[in-house]
Amino acid sequence: MNIRKSVTYKAIVEALWQSNPITKQTLGICSALAVTVKLDTAVVMSLALTCVVAFSNLIISAMRKQIPRNIRMIVEVMVIATLVILADEALKAFLYDISKQLSVFVGLIITNCIVLGRAEAFALGNPPLRSFLDGIANGLGYSSVLIGVAFFRELLGSGTLLGFPVIPGWLYDAGYQDMGLMVLAPGAFIVIGLFVWLQHVVLKTKT
Amino acid sequence: MSDGLKSLLFAVVMCMVCSTLLTLGATGLQRFQEKNILLDKRKNILLSAGLLDEKNMVGPEEITRIYSESISALWVDGEGNIKSEADHGSKDLPLYLCRRSGAVFAYIIPFTSKGLWGKIHGYLALDTDGSTVKGFTVYQHQETPGLGGEIEKRWFQKNFSGKKIVDRSGNFVSIAIAKGKAANAVPETLQGNYVDGISGATLTGKFLSEGLKDVLLAYEPVSIEFRHNRMKGLTDEGHP
Repeated sequence: MNIRKSVTYKAIVEALWQSNPITKQTLGICSALAVTVKLDTAVVMSLALTCVVAFSNLIISAMRKQIPRNIRMIVEVMVIATLVILADEALKAFLYDISKQLSVFVGLIITNCIVLGRAEAFALGNPPLRSFLDGIANGLGYSSVLIGVAFFRELLGSGTLLGFPVIPGWLYDAGYQDMGLMVLAPGAFIVIGLFVWLQHVVLKTKT
Repeated sequence: MSDGLKSLLFAVVMCMVCSTLLTLGATGLQRFQEKNILLDKRKNILLSAGLLDEKNMVGPEEITRIYSESISALWVDGEGNIKSEADHGSKDLPLYLCRRSGAVFAYIIPFTSKGLWGKIHGYLALDTDGSTVKGFTVYQHQETPGLGGEIEKRWFQKNFSGKKIVDRSGNFVSIAIAKGKAANAVPETLQGNYVDGISGATLTGKFLSEGLKDVLLAYEPVSIEFRHNRMKGLTDEGHP
């Protein structure tokens, strides 16, 4: 069987590229602006969101035949909120410093449209395993943009990657300066905007 | 069974399951979280006294070692008398002494202030002259990230070092956060008592100024003792 033709493969490619949650559907922008100053916070945030969206999809999909139609949104939000709080507690226990930097943004995954959107649009109509993979795929789509943005913001804004200085000293001596704008929110807007633009250009030339 | 009843039943079961999970998660992880919080507090005490540098952070063991070497926790009553850990009353205030090779060089006041959205917790380190601020840290707050939340950042906190809690004639005036740059916002005679504010976070600054004033006022008897050099005998005779 050709792997490129399987439904799962198509779903993953679609979430990563053709309908990437951030660049194509413009969801989850709030956290993408806020936690991308440093790579490490972006990576932890990506992991947290990927876990939450994958498991909320799995659980909701497993219960999809039992959930009463009239309260399905409430049930979805409840599952998501429980998972997010558990993730937040785990971060506080094992990655305290990073969890302090992420502050409210882990909690705000509850209101992240990607999670509820996938639950509503995919998990309610598909079997658990495929929903789980769809969650992973969308989480990766989100992560790829988040980590990409954080890479450029940390490199240009602080001259470091994951906290290690990467810009050589002689460059600073020659007059190079870190771009202060990249550390602030407008820098994130500009970088995300460039990502969106780049993706749309590439997609257009392909089709 | 009617649809309404089924929904209600489903909702009740969901609530039960979710709350059980959350309780299990919270209680199971509490031990680890408390360890982190204690370490974070110690780290902030050391940071406020300048015994740690934010730039070269050290591991948990090193923090515990420096803490036990240089910090001693004790209590003071309303008149500034020092009490030991064992016989302090409910009205006594906690205080930390910092030593460098045996000699006390600063005392640290833990503070809890009102903030815009919630309480602000931190430490204020004062020099043994009883009037100069050595350092200031915040370890817990709920202010808006990017605005009031900047109080946890180094650039804001380092403004406190070297400021005075007394005016030029030595009377207590507390330390306050200016609206904007202290150099433009307050007259020259008061600049030693003001630190630069955060633009967009005027209210956080206002609440924090009030909170610091209340705390410093409560500790003023201790500061007076330090100012008049009366603490020397008490604090230098080894670890209490």
